[in-house]
Amino acid sequence: MGKIMKSGKVVLVLRGRYAGRKAVVVKTYDEGSTERAYPHALIAGVNKYPKQITTRMGKKKQESRNKLKPFLKVVSYSHLLPTRYTLDVTFEKANINKEALKEPGKKRRASLEAKAKFEERYKTGKNRWFFTKLRF
Amino acid sequence: MAPKAEAPAAVFPKKQKKNAENINSRLTMVMKSGKYVLGYKETLKNLRNGKAQLVLIAKNTPPIRRSESEYYAMLAKTGVHHYNGNNIELGTACGKLFRVGTLAITDPGDSDIIRSMPAETA
Repeated sequence: MGKIMKSGKVVLVLRGRYAGRKAVVVKTYDEGSTERAYPHALIAGVNKYPKQITTRMGKKKQESRNKLKPFLKVVSYSHLLPTRYTLDVTFEKANINKEALKEPGKKRRASLEAKAKFEERYKTGKNRWFFTKLRF
Repeated sequence: MAPKAEAPAAVFPKKQKKNAENINSRLTMVMKSGKYVLGYKETLKNLRNGKAQLVLIAKNTPPIRRSESEYYAMLAKTGVHHYNGNNIELGTACGKLFRVGTLAITDPGDSDIIRSMPAETA
């Protein structure tokens, strides 16, 4: 009897271009909004996962393979599958919000921030499940 | 729950029938006095917003849908009852003329289904 969708929850995207990708819920809009009359959430996810690195690779090669490409999207709850995992990454509310997604300049800045935060977390080696591609 | 086939046959069929009657009568009570939602989409919606208190799944729902509903219920800390009957029987038990594969009880009303059922089932 608890609410499932909360910010910080890891979620699988079920529909759309990003189907099959893992994402974190940044902000939930349970009651919908004027533009979207259904419950939805702003999610930040991984579009292109970081590649595998091995010990044999040189440092430069490892660094280039540690990069990932994020995405930000406002998605309906019915197109998400919540998981039991959470990813506690704090995003700057000023940069990453729904309005930012409407203007190209702001959107770019928001994705850069998401990229930086995700890569930082990936390098620490935590939340490994989040950064691995879901095979299906 | 342990598979029922292990107990002596003489005792068993009686107990199973009693259980089935139990859940059916409790369901009719809920239909009369409580609040419920029928159908896969609505149950997921109510699981997401935390309103569902018990989820019933018919026996012949496809395994993916079944495990998805169970997973959502696990996340929402909601009980799941695997109804011993297919969707036609579950629909009849709800007093409806259509099939019901999944249903969620949001408010039990006068029924004690929430209290008694999770104790008996997995």
